[in-house]
This record gives sequence, structure tokens and C-alpha cells, in this order.
Amino acid sequence: MLRSGHDVASRPRTLLVAGAVLAALSLIALTLPAASQPRRYTIAFANVTEEPGLTLEGTGFTGADVRQSFVLAARGQPVDLVFYDNQKDGTKAIANVADAIQRKVDLYIQYYSDPAVNQDVSVMLRKAGIPGLAVNYPMAGAPLYGADHLAAGQIAGEALARFASRAWAGQPMVAILLGNLTDQSSGLPERAHGVRASLARLLPRARIVALDTRGNPAQVSPLLGKAAAASPNTRLLIAALDDATALSAKSALEALGRTADGAIVGLGCDRSVHGGASEKKEIDPNNRGSILIGSVAFYLDRYGYDVLPIALRLLRGEPVPEHTPTRHTLITTTNVWREYPPYDMQ
Amino acid sequence: MTLRILRAAGLAALLLGWTSLAFAQTDCKTLVPASPWGPNDQTGATNRVTPAVTKAAAAEIQDGKVVPLSYVLTDGVPLFGTRFSKTILTATSLAPGAAFGENQLTYMEDTWLSQSHVGTHLDGLGHIGRKDCYFNQTAMGKYINQNNMTRLGLEHLKSFATRGVLIDAVKVYQQAGKLKTNPNCRKRCLDKGTVLTRADLEAGLKMYNVTLREGDIVIIHTGWGDIFEQFPAKNAEYNSGEPGIGKEAAAWLVSQKIVAVGSDTWAVEVIPGEDPKEAFIVHNILITDAGIHIIENVRTDLMAAEANTTGRATFFFNMTVPRAVGLTGNFVGIDGIR
Repeated sequence: MLRSGHDVASRPRTLLVAGAVLAALSLIALTLPAASQPRRYTIAFANVTEEPGLTLEGTGFTGADVRQSFVLAARGQPVDLVFYDNQKDGTKAIANVADAIQRKVDLYIQYYSDPAVNQDVSVMLRKAGIPGLAVNYPMAGAPLYGADHLAAGQIAGEALARFASRAWAGQPMVAILLGNLTDQSSGLPERAHGVRASLARLLPRARIVALDTRGNPAQVSPLLGKAAAASPNTRLLIAALDDATALSAKSALEALGRTADGAIVGLGCDRSVHGGASEKKEIDPNNRGSILIGSVAFYLDRYGYDVLPIALRLLRGEPVPEHTPTRHTLITTTNVWREYPPYDMQ
Repeated sequence: MTLRILRAAGLAALLLGWTSLAFAQTDCKTLVPASPWGPNDQTGATNRVTPAVTKAAAAEIQDGKVVPLSYVLTDGVPLFGTRFSKTILTATSLAPGAAFGENQLTYMEDTWLSQSHVGTHLDGLGHIGRKDCYFNQTAMGKYINQNNMTRLGLEHLKSFATRGVLIDAVKVYQQAGKLKTNPNCRKRCLDKGTVLTRADLEAGLKMYNVTLREGDIVIIHTGWGDIFEQFPAKNAEYNSGEPGIGKEAAAWLVSQKIVAVGSDTWAVEVIPGEDPKEAFIVHNILITDAGIHIIENVRTDLMAAEANTTGRATFFFNMTVPRAVGLTGNFVGIDGIR
């Protein structure tokens, strides 16, 4: 085949241009991060408190549980975490966000209960151009992740009502709402409302008695003792607003000799009620006869696994719902090892 | 009378039917892959240890040095829950006048009351399943009785006489500047919860210029075994979690067609796992799905030191497993010969 003179003459020039383009592309490639390596983000998490033993949201979980969930969830994610402890103190919370802004974090996760402080934090973040994400308590302009106390209460009420309909249909029964009914924080009123709503819907003829422990589990026994004595030959459906109260209620019924009359559902589902293969606790596949039929999970020990994916979507400019509620589930002897697989075995 | 007998027989047949149904309710073809060695395979990855593989591994024996890779099994080593391992010595002939014959022969022997998954031990193919489905789509409910399994027992395994490859994950993390040790370790170790990735394993292999071959056994040094060695004082810490391979690394090891993977930890895989709703998922990936064995509580520090000194991380893997019929696993002794 013959080539035209134009073709032959233009070849060196074409090669030169191609070489220049390749060199430019190589330079660009060198300055860009490798395509296979996702961008890493620095995310700050300001925990409400990490005081040892101090429990959160009317459950048995502590700040350490929440923090650890972020540590574990961050493994395998393109995330470097910076932790702060708000110490349940507004001044500290403001100092924390100021420090995070100075560090130029990519996103700030705020877990703090005071709306005024959260408003200030929101303003500071907006000024710094740092997106925020709120846990359990709203912060202006930030998506919210958190417990749905009303839904959790409804699940507890439904569980009790279903049990009663199945096991005690047609028998006299009284529903007892037990826990810290005075506390207006921690979502306890919403939990109580949810329990009542489900019981009213599914057991419309059941009488509901509210017993206020004022947050003192030692009050469970005397309160329950009086209520049980006032209702002889009656089944007692007990919705305990937290796990500690649920366990106290079980002990109280045992002491009263009324275990055959009792069914209890708690809320929280921390390790005080569920254990592992070796660490036997009340909710255990080998303890199917317990009158504590279950506890509604709040998963504070899994917050990191729920919150970090939302944070990453936010950072990547993907749409994020304004409010993502915790997926509450009733944990019983039949699903406890599915929800909380034990690893204290080999 | 005849009617009564027939009725009783019918009831018995019905009950027996229910019992077997209760054990075999899952279509295992939907849960577990078929073995690449055929529908009757009960051997799994040791099929890969062919004479050629063993012969090639023998080339690793260069100066005859033997490096122990197992811990002593004794009272107080970390065990889980109700697990136990106890010995009772029979020494009656040592009593005065109890010796035998003019030569005054005496003897002693042991009664060993032990669970099989204790100390340095091998997880067999019947150890881990998904529901009632085990390796090679075995509906295990049909193959168990109160004493043992009638399929997938240790007696079906072939030889483990192959090449061992040490991956020093501590060194990988040190060199990458990401080592986060645990205060209970006297020597450097990876902390519990550290997920070893495929990239980590590849870095460990590259460090000693090793390319995995079909039929290899991979031994991972995490340093966590240092806490095992401090038994019984540190048993709670040892059992509370561990560094180990994650799902991606396990899948990659499967693709490398190895025979087994061991580590100086109690489960080889990272604990707490990557997904809190999954239980020992790496065991499923390796044993249930691929017939690849897991060897737990392997003593790795001596081989790691040896590799560090000599620049060679391969060795002849010397381990035999008792032909114990129907067992799900057993404690083993391992030596690395160089």
C-alpha cells in the first residue's frame, strides 16, 4: 500500500503530540490519588459522656459502648476518627467543636442533649463549612440518627399483648407499666406512651396500672408487691421501661410466689439481660421458660455501624434522610443469638 | 392385640420420621457450594497434598532444624466456657508388690478426658456449618449420632505434609507504621479487633519474597499468642477478642487453593468480627464453603524469629492428625522443619 506524502510527513508530529499528551496525563495521574484508593475522611465523634458506669438513654449502655461501636465500625472504612468527650457539659461541648474546627475535620458527629448548645455547635460548624450529624438529639441543619422510643414502646406493648392473647386468653389480667415515669428526659415518656398505645389497641379490655419507681430499682419490689396483692388470681403483664427494672420485677415476682402469673418485657437489651454462649443471662436460648420474655433492643453498642455509613454518604454528596431511626427489635430466646452472635466460644 | 401392636409400630414410625425430619430440613445445595473434588468428597483441601506437593515441600528441609509450632496442653491454658481437658494417671503397678513378673515390670497410662478443640488444634470439616449444612452440601442432620459424625470425620483427611508459609503480620504492621499493640503483650502484638486484609497478607508474603502455591499451609503471626503464654493470668484477655483475617482476606486465601490457615489466636479470624451480626463468618468461608482447615492456637513466635533471622519464611509443615473416626477436630502437634 502506498502512503501519501502528507501521511509520512505528519507521523513524527503525531508521535510528538501523543508523547506530550501521555506525559501530561502521567503528571496529572501522579498528582491525583490512585483510583483504587478511596479518599480517607477525618470524622470527629463527640460523645455525650464517657464517664464510667453512667448509662445512656434509659438503657444499660454506657458512653464507652457507643465509642467502641465507632472504633469497630470504622475498621475497613476510609475513615480516621477523632474522639471527643462532651462530659455532659455545654462548655466542654463548645470547646470540643472548636478544637475539631481547628483540626479541619471533614465531618462532626454531635451527641449531646442540650438544644441550646447544639444550636451553637451548629452555627460554629456552618461557619467553618463542616457538615454535622446529630445523634439522638437534633442539631439544626444536620441529619439526625437516633432511638425511636415510641416505636420501641409499641414493640414492647405488642409483645406483651400477643403473649397474653396466646397464653392467657379469657383470663383476668392487669397490665403494669413499670419504671421511671417521673423522668421526662431519655425518651421514657414516649416509651410509656408506645406501650400504652399497643396495649390499648390489642388488649382493649386490659386495665393498665402505672407504677413509678422514680428510677430506683429498689422500689420495684414494694410497688409490685402492692399491685400484685391487689390483684390476686390475676395475670400480670409487666412492661418495664428498662432492663434493670425488668430484672428487678422478675425477682420481685419470684419473691411473691407469683411467677406463674407474670410476663415481663423490658426495653434496652444490654448485656445485663443477654449474654453469650458461656456468659449465661436471662435471655438465652437455654432459658426459654423465663417470665422475662424479651427486651426491645436499642443497639447503642452498634451506633457506629449505623452512623458512619450515613456520615460517608453525606461526605460523598449522596442524599441522606433527615431522620434515621434505630431499627428496634424485640430480642427473645429465639433470636438473641441471631441478633447478638456470641463469640465467647470457639 | 395385633391392632394395638400395629398402632404402636405406626406411632413409632411416625416419631422416627419426625426425628429425622427435624434434623434435615434445609436444601444444602442453596447454602453450601459443592466440593470441587466431587459429590462424595469428605476430604476437602487435603486433596491438594499430592506426592508432587509433598516432594516439593521436602526441599524446604535444608539444615534439619526443627521449630515447634504448638503450645503445651496443660491445666490452665485458655479454654472457652465449659471446655475442659483433664488427664488421670493410672500408676497402680508402682504400688509395692504390684509389679509384674521376675523382671518387675511396671507400667503407667493415662485417661484423657478432653474436648477436641483445645490447645493447638485443627478444625475438621465437620466443625462448622451453615444451619444443618456442612462442607460439600452435607445435610449433617442425617449423619450424626450421640457419639460422632458418620460423614466428614477426621479419618477422611489426607496428609498435611506440605509447605508451610509464615506471614509475620506484626512486622507488616510495624513496617507500615500502623502497629497498635495491646498492653497485655510483653512482645509486640496486633491488638484485638485488628482486621488483616488481603493487602496485609500480600505484604507479608512480599516481605520474604514468597508466592503462595497450591497446597500450602499459611501460618499467620499476630503476636497475640504472647497472651496465651501468660496463662492462666491473662486467659480472660486472650479470650476477649483477637486480631485476625477478615472476610476479604479469607476469600483471597481460598482463591490461592491452600490447605489450611493457622494463627496464634483462638479463632484465626478477627474478633470482634467485621459485621456484629455475623458469627465466625471466616470459619464458614474457609471450612464450610471451601474445605480449608483452620488451625488455632499455633505457636508462631519461634518461626517468626527464625524467619526474621534467616530471611526465609517457608518450611516443611510436619503435622499428623489422628484417624479418629467421626471427630470434628483434634489437638495436634506441629513442627516446622527447615
